[in-house]
Amino acid sequence: MNRIAIKMLVGDRAKYLGIVMGITFASLLITQQAAIFTGLMTRTYSAITDLRLPDIWVMDPKVQFIDDIKPMQSTKLLNVRGVAGVEWAVPLYKGLLKARLDDGNFQTVNVIGLDDATLIGGPPSMVAGNLADLRRTEGVIVDAVGAEDKLAKPPRLPGGPRVPLAVGDTLEINDRRATVVGISNNSRTFQSQPIVYTTYSRALGYAPPERRLLSFVLVKAKPGQDLNELTARITRVTGLAAYTREQFEQITVDYFMKYTGIPINFGIAVVLGFIVGTAIAGQTFYNFTLDNLRQFGALKAMGAQNGTLLKMILLQAVTVGLIGYGLGVGLASLIGHVSRGTELAFRMPWQLLALSGTAVAIITAFTALLSIWKVMRLEPAIVFKG
Amino acid sequence: MASVQSRLAVRCRGVTKSYGTGDAKVTALRGVDLDVELGELLMLVGPSGCGKTTLISVLAAILDQDGGECTVLGQDVRRLGARARARFRGETIGFVFQQFNLLPTLTAVENVAVPLLIHGSARKRALDRAAEVLDAVGLGSRVKSLPSQLSGGQQQRVAIARALVHEPQLIVCDEPTSALDHETGHNVMELMRRVATGPDRALVVVTHDARIFEFADRIARMDDGHVLEVVPGEAVRGTRQESQP
Repeated sequence: MNRIAIKMLVGDRAKYLGIVMGITFASLLITQQAAIFTGLMTRTYSAITDLRLPDIWVMDPKVQFIDDIKPMQSTKLLNVRGVAGVEWAVPLYKGLLKARLDDGNFQTVNVIGLDDATLIGGPPSMVAGNLADLRRTEGVIVDAVGAEDKLAKPPRLPGGPRVPLAVGDTLEINDRRATVVGISNNSRTFQSQPIVYTTYSRALGYAPPERRLLSFVLVKAKPGQDLNELTARITRVTGLAAYTREQFEQITVDYFMKYTGIPINFGIAVVLGFIVGTAIAGQTFYNFTLDNLRQFGALKAMGAQNGTLLKMILLQAVTVGLIGYGLGVGLASLIGHVSRGTELAFRMPWQLLALSGTAVAIITAFTALLSIWKVMRLEPAIVFKG
Repeated sequence: MASVQSRLAVRCRGVTKSYGTGDAKVTALRGVDLDVELGELLMLVGPSGCGKTTLISVLAAILDQDGGECTVLGQDVRRLGARARARFRGETIGFVFQQFNLLPTLTAVENVAVPLLIHGSARKRALDRAAEVLDAVGLGSRVKSLPSQLSGGQQQRVAIARALVHEPQLIVCDEPTSALDHETGHNVMELMRRVATGPDRALVVVTHDARIFEFADRIARMDDGHVLEVVPGEAVRGTRQESQP
């Protein structure tokens, strides 16, 4: 009977394709929009993710997310270093400053000042130059995306392509000269400002004079130290907020979830995909069942149990569900693959596949339920009605 | 008396059936008495709305009567649960429908095999048996054809093969020739007479088509929910012959 169910399904090409298209559309929209949303959320904390070495981030208690800089007094670094269980602690400057480009334009850049001695907090990998080159006079490292795009130099010929910033080029940050000594490879950030690495002391020189300039203290715990205990201890001793990397990432995501319209906008798109997919697939599948009602009635009259018909409908629904889900997720993956390395934020972890799979399963179940309800209540006597 | 009972495929006494309630209540059967013997082809005839379809639905075990008794092949089907009744129908009753009700996406042989597949026969065995029966109804060369590739008469022959494939003891046919032209209808009835009748099988045919009355062993005339009379087929054939110039 399974083969009969499948033949009934695929025999009506128009409806079969309609149902599959409906589920594919829903699956694609849910997966793709959710993947972009996940990608965007990942970018909000990419600066934290890229910084793998420290275990704990220490900051002013009022900080709400990674780009919400509330500078601290430099003496706080010493306070943190004095907490039991801290292996080492280094300062990190992070701030938005204006850079003047070769063509006279200004571009806001995200300046990150690394501990002069250790250079901890540097980029995850280099495209050109070395991290140690930051010790050279006026040295800065620029991220590749920024170098090729917002910090790029004017075209050599009118109408030609802009020239990417390269090692040896210079720019001005707050009227101070900076020489590019390296190009780094970073994860894209949510705000998409170019990232400029330099030493902590040089960054303080770029920054407008303020009494408090220490953005974060990066902490490495001693081996075997429980991180949650240490964060609590740092907070108790220094009065500062201390988070593990994962906690700080989560706090950043929570901020964007709570205070921006991003989740609502993407949520609406996902819900729309769900509703439209359910409507298309549900209605088409139901119509398909209605068209086959006499056939189902004939099968009932010939002795088919309700359970047999139930299995047939479920098999039909699961078949279109799996095909639609596969096509939708496949298309979403293709979009993600094609858009790799572009501005489009796209991230598709397995949890997202499980989410869209669950959504498609709900659509399929709803679709099947309508038909099952109809067929279960069907009187086989329908076959004797001309 | 016992031997007469055992030769009865269907025994109905005082069968009543109504649809709806209150002002919308329609009484379809008003106390029907009817016997159908094994080995005979009985035709149920009468005007539209007289209760023919309701009666075959009751005796085919797909509709419960409101009152009276109806035993089919010795079984009071109203006492059976839904699952047992479906199994009973599938094992002992064959159906030929007015609109054929073939599954359009299955080939002829697959359509014929459906009753066997419903009851769990292995696919190959079911298809082999279906091919045999299709051969018996003269469609041995069209086993792979889809219903849309067959004429109306051929589709009805497939439906007959489907009704016979599991060797049921009772076959109910609802207007089997109404969708066919006279000659094709005649051929279909000849075929049914030849391959579907037998000493251990009864056929009940509901029809409006007076041109096929000649194939009946007995004819039950219905009107307004009653069986008015049951006459031998010869009587009708004689009347028709006398009325012809």
